[in-house]
Amino acid sequence: MKLLPDQDQRDLASMLSALFVAECPTNLVRELRDADPRSMPTRLWKSLADAGVFGLLVPQQYGGAGGTLSDLGVFCVEAGRGLCPTIVHGTVQAALAIQLLGGPDQQAAWLPSLADGKIRATTCLWSARDAAVTAPTLHARSEAWGGGWRLSGAADFVADADLADHLVVSAVAEGERLMAFVVPLATAGLWIEPMQLMGGHRAFRIAFDDVEVPDPAAALAGIDNAGPVDQDLRRVANAAVALLSLDLVGVGEAVLQRTVDYTMARKQFGRPIASFQAAQHLVANMHIALAAARLAAHSAVFWIGQGRTGTRETAIARMHAASAAKLITLDAHQLHGGMGYVVETDLHLFSERARVLATLGGGADVAATWLEEA
Amino acid sequence: MVDFELDAAQNAWLAEVRDFLQANVTLALRSELAEHGQEFPDGEVASWRRKIGERGWFGLNWPAEYGGLGLGAIYQHLLMREFEYWGVPGPDLTVTSVAPMIMRHGTEQNKLEFLPPIARGELICAVGYSEPDAGTDLASLRTRAVQDGDEWVITGSKIWNSVANRATHEWLCVRTDPSAARHRGISVIMVPTQLPGITIRPLYAWSGYRTNEVFFDDVRVPVGNLIGEVNRGWTYITGALDLERGALTNAGDLRHALDVLTELAGQPRRDGSTPLHMSSFRRRLAQAEADVEAAMLMGYQAASLLDSGVIPTVEVSVEKVFSSELRQRIADLAIDLLGPDGLLAYRSPGAPEDGKFERLYRVAPLMRFGGGTNEVLRDVIAQRGHGMPSYGR
Repeated sequence: MKLLPDQDQRDLASMLSALFVAECPTNLVRELRDADPRSMPTRLWKSLADAGVFGLLVPQQYGGAGGTLSDLGVFCVEAGRGLCPTIVHGTVQAALAIQLLGGPDQQAAWLPSLADGKIRATTCLWSARDAAVTAPTLHARSEAWGGGWRLSGAADFVADADLADHLVVSAVAEGERLMAFVVPLATAGLWIEPMQLMGGHRAFRIAFDDVEVPDPAAALAGIDNAGPVDQDLRRVANAAVALLSLDLVGVGEAVLQRTVDYTMARKQFGRPIASFQAAQHLVANMHIALAAARLAAHSAVFWIGQGRTGTRETAIARMHAASAAKLITLDAHQLHGGMGYVVETDLHLFSERARVLATLGGGADVAATWLEEA
Repeated sequence: MVDFELDAAQNAWLAEVRDFLQANVTLALRSELAEHGQEFPDGEVASWRRKIGERGWFGLNWPAEYGGLGLGAIYQHLLMREFEYWGVPGPDLTVTSVAPMIMRHGTEQNKLEFLPPIARGELICAVGYSEPDAGTDLASLRTRAVQDGDEWVITGSKIWNSVANRATHEWLCVRTDPSAARHRGISVIMVPTQLPGITIRPLYAWSGYRTNEVFFDDVRVPVGNLIGEVNRGWTYITGALDLERGALTNAGDLRHALDVLTELAGQPRRDGSTPLHMSSFRRRLAQAEADVEAAMLMGYQAASLLDSGVIPTVEVSVEKVFSSELRQRIADLAIDLLGPDGLLAYRSPGAPEDGKFERLYRVAPLMRFGGGTNEVLRDVIAQRGHGMPSYGR
């Protein structure tokens, strides 16, 4: 028991922090937000790949660093602070899903190219309304020949389907069995329709019209080749929610820092507004909410990394992180006054990320229901 | 890496503490505590304290040279949390905040004289800080000590001086240099409570808790009872207050209250309705669960920082504010959830859980202002945690 980061984790955090400062300035975030169609931030992507972000958790035999889920957690905090494009998260989540849902053959087929950033991916493995709902909305039937599959059905709120090469998606196979597939997004019969979310975040409705999946490595067969089970899917969903809770912690950290800096610089009545107790107490409340969220989210990531499904820990992490990120960003607007309300000061970029990530998969009210089953 | 898992030795320790509680928290102890608190000099509570002292658990995280067991802050935290969970008195402020300051700042004579009896549970301190005109603004305290040969002569009064009526000593904060700047003329003196010139007047709080006002009228104490150096006391007491906040808020009692409440929520009330069937109560219970878990993690984090040699001033302020406000929310939720039955008074016939939550509603306000008001602690978080300027407090 030691709730303090070690030197390796502090080094990783400061390396990534510097990377985002250099390679992910807010003008890049704005370009990605406003462009239509969007294009990949290729320089940032390459830097992240060179830094080993995509392979942090991937076993060494597949070209990764063989790290822990907590290492990925360190990345997520910095990603939130640096407003990292979510296609990075999608790719990391896809690799995580293949690690937890795939057998050795599928891991060997996909993980090396995911680990070095050669392919980009997103996932559709849980409901955007409630991440505890992992029942697939797709159906899969096996081809009469060749061992391939055909997928039908529809899914919504799939993130970044415009930028991703592949989608990891679950389906009910032959009317009974749970399966997951790695499907190229440029495939005949696959219809993608954009949904414009707050803050330029892009989600998509995807319709599968008898989509052929011939690649035998595309069907994730479970660690023991018996196919994934509900519990595996839930662990993937929990890991993603817990990691995104750390992203929200990063958003909160960045906004808290900006807000303190602003109140120190802004003078009224002849002194910095930071010297007023009312301002200090808003900051203290942000700090307290953030402390709870940070501990809860790191705890969830740690325990899922130790092999737990972690539903209780994930619920608690999400409840604190979703609430904290909204409280912090909205009170930051209050402390910034007009200077936080105009878009040229960038505060809204964080506020929108907070609201979007605190909603997808379920916010505090939804997460509270997960505690009842845990 | 950040490690949330207790290691084998820590798990064994937790089991040892739980076994001890299982074996020694008797019905007799519980009923004396319920009836009389810790007031009896030689009853069940006194023998309970002796058992803890025999195991060395009052000094469990002290270095061996001062009669301690040399275990880390995590061990202390686990023990305190379990004791709080069971609702029995354990190591008090004498152990958790006074003793560490003596170790850190005391003279060799202070250490030899005071630490061994604290470790045995024989020396109990009342913490003499607040005065009628010096509460949150503690540095304006006026109780004076004037040196006369080899004695200090003390005159003044202290208020909210809990446990003075059963303490052996006052850990007394006094002004020793009235001409110095207000933070610079303060010292700490150990004053035996049996000395002539000390008068104790009880004050009873809303919760039924007894505290005291204590008057010092030319009380004479040997000069060797001054802790550390003269006029350096402010440093010692602010350090002790940081430790006090950490020690006061380990969330063990919150975990117990919520376990009991969750159990009650699943049972039908007098009118046959079951609170757990109502989504509003389920939502509030879930929030309390998430909050108690966060409070527990804050405790582990503070203990981790202590083990790494840091006094976690900001972190214990966060923990204290968070858990004290949570205690009030849990008490409030309990009465809402129980309905009118929640109003049945503490220890009155028919009260659910003997009126535990009716009492908790009255107990909880104490910790929001005790040990540093939450308003001042929010200032501490902003100023010490983020460098925001002092506004002249």
